[in-house]
Amino acid sequence: MNDWASLLGIPLWAWLFVMPIIFATLCFFFRATGKRLLTPVWHLLDRVYLASGVLAAVFMVIILVIIVLQMIARWSSVSFQGSTEFAGYAMAATSFFAFAYALNNGAHIRVSILLNINNFTRKWVDAYAMLIAAVTATYFARYAVKTNFMSDMLNDRTQGQDQVPEWFIAFISMFGTWPTDWGELWANVGDAWVYTPVWLPQLPMSIGSTLLAIALWDNLFRLLINGKSNIKGEAVE
Amino acid sequence: MTELYATAIFLFVLFALLGSSVWIGLALMGVAWVGMELFTTRPAGDAMITTIWTGASSWTLTALPLFIWMGEILFRTRLSQDLFRGLAPWMRWLPGGLLHTNIAGCTLFAAVSGSSAATLTTVGKMSIPELRKRGYPEYMIIGTLAGAATLGLMIPPSLTLIVYGVTINESITKLFMAGILPGLVLSSLFMAYIIGWHFLRKDERPEPEPSMPLTEMFSESRFLIPVLMLVFTVIGSMYFGWATATEAAAVGVLGSLALATLQRSLTWETFSASLMGATRTSAMIALILMGAAFLSLAMGFTGLPRALATWIDTMNLSPIVLIAVLTVFYLVLGMFMDGLSSVVLTMAIVEPMIRQAGIDVIWFGIFLVVVIETAQVTPPIGFNLFVLQGMTTHEISYIAKTAIPMVGLMLLMVVILVVWPELATWLPDNIRSNN
Repeated sequence: MNDWASLLGIPLWAWLFVMPIIFATLCFFFRATGKRLLTPVWHLLDRVYLASGVLAAVFMVIILVIIVLQMIARWSSVSFQGSTEFAGYAMAATSFFAFAYALNNGAHIRVSILLNINNFTRKWVDAYAMLIAAVTATYFARYAVKTNFMSDMLNDRTQGQDQVPEWFIAFISMFGTWPTDWGELWANVGDAWVYTPVWLPQLPMSIGSTLLAIALWDNLFRLLINGKSNIKGEAVE
Repeated sequence: MTELYATAIFLFVLFALLGSSVWIGLALMGVAWVGMELFTTRPAGDAMITTIWTGASSWTLTALPLFIWMGEILFRTRLSQDLFRGLAPWMRWLPGGLLHTNIAGCTLFAAVSGSSAATLTTVGKMSIPELRKRGYPEYMIIGTLAGAATLGLMIPPSLTLIVYGVTINESITKLFMAGILPGLVLSSLFMAYIIGWHFLRKDERPEPEPSMPLTEMFSESRFLIPVLMLVFTVIGSMYFGWATATEAAAVGVLGSLALATLQRSLTWETFSASLMGATRTSAMIALILMGAAFLSLAMGFTGLPRALATWIDTMNLSPIVLIAVLTVFYLVLGMFMDGLSSVVLTMAIVEPMIRQAGIDVIWFGIFLVVVIETAQVTPPIGFNLFVLQGMTTHEISYIAKTAIPMVGLMLLMVVILVVWPELATWLPDNIRSNN
């Protein structure tokens, strides 16, 4: 699998890294247009970030539930196979889904000595940091998604004892296939439980890291257009 | 020679990225990527995700969000008032009076929360105005609070120790047990300081408190009993081997929810605020841990940690000298970074070093926490200083000055740990385990 296959004649790395930078430059020079075009997008994205944060919180509760069930199972000598794996998956999901939400709420920490020198550095060092962070996060997201696809292609299964029902896998698969294939998808589903395919718990990784990358680019655009980013309440060190 | 280049490049890129205020987790990923591209032919991106996925979905890590959540719930209850009201009657008799509520309050809250900022806010919210009203000198109120709040990092549950344990793959339960005695010793040192102040600065003593009948003392502190029960359940279940650290954390969350219900402070607002707050904090730490996992993979490829460990070994440093050097190193690092980041950033290098030198890693974790605690109250970047500045509107420099005696006591604690290492190692060696 080529890492940077071309899409519409342009290599993937250009789509992921160069295009947003060009867009950011355009944003800076055509602020009014950028603002008009992006305002509806911002409204939408703000909801997506929050929804993702709420989803992360749900997975936090799921960790708690899994662990409580595990304890109850142990005391009553019932076996709860793969509880540690499930808790681990929920852990990954809560982290990844919360990344973008945490970013916009100023939870992620950084060394802010240069930022605090004056208003000029506050804006431009911030823009530079966001650019670097956005590129890194995009790289991270690109490989997270790739690994996720590879896990599916290689039909990678869990190393642990955790099993999930087939119908659940089929249900999640529906989101990744065309409705025309759904008939075939469900036709093959029995009521058996199978060892968790690794792509399933890796989905939050792909979604969350992509959302983090989007959030960082988004903050860069907002900073260049509005003079301030979307990050609220960052602990100013 | 490659190691030398490797070190130079790593350090340069690291400081360039961190200095330009890139978020720490992402900065670590960036440095690791540079290392992978320069020193290996392995595909960097794929190796990165494999490492990160394994780390992010690991069972040991699940203790982290739950302990954070537990602290967040209690932070939003009436515990702040209850701590002061419940502790004050018992502290009035001690020389130094109600100043001791700062220390005792922090110690107690530290036993339910893993963060020093939360400890500081919870205890300070009530004790600062109350102590001021009674005429205690400002520098004592602020100083003791700044110092004692760092106990949040040491007394279990401690987020720093979880992160340390996850990074070097050691038992979190053991690390937690190791933190108990040193934490109590440190809080006695703080109390001794207050007693010393009482006798040395007689003119600064405020009016003694009016006396209170014993029955009233008990009725005032009845709110603390559930909290104490919660502390003993969480720590006890780990000590007796009834529960793993994660399970103890789950019990802690349920217990603190029950406590909040009992106090009638559990509303949908506080519940969701605590949950969302915990989600944010745990995501923040998770991102740093992911960056650190990738960085230590990259460092492993360069051979740098092993080379450095061997080099230290050939120098024939005694462990004492090594510890002294590391103390200074972490204090300097702590001036510019927060504690968690400095732990994860350095462990890839420091772990082989201390293992080579034959230093107990559990003991080292406690040592590290004391040094990081010290860094929390030293300028220019000391997190407790910022929190206190927000609460009292004093200048950072003033707060830092009031905390200097505490810094001295914490350094004394380092010496105590070196002289009596059993303080940290005895309890974890005697955990009952049921398997």
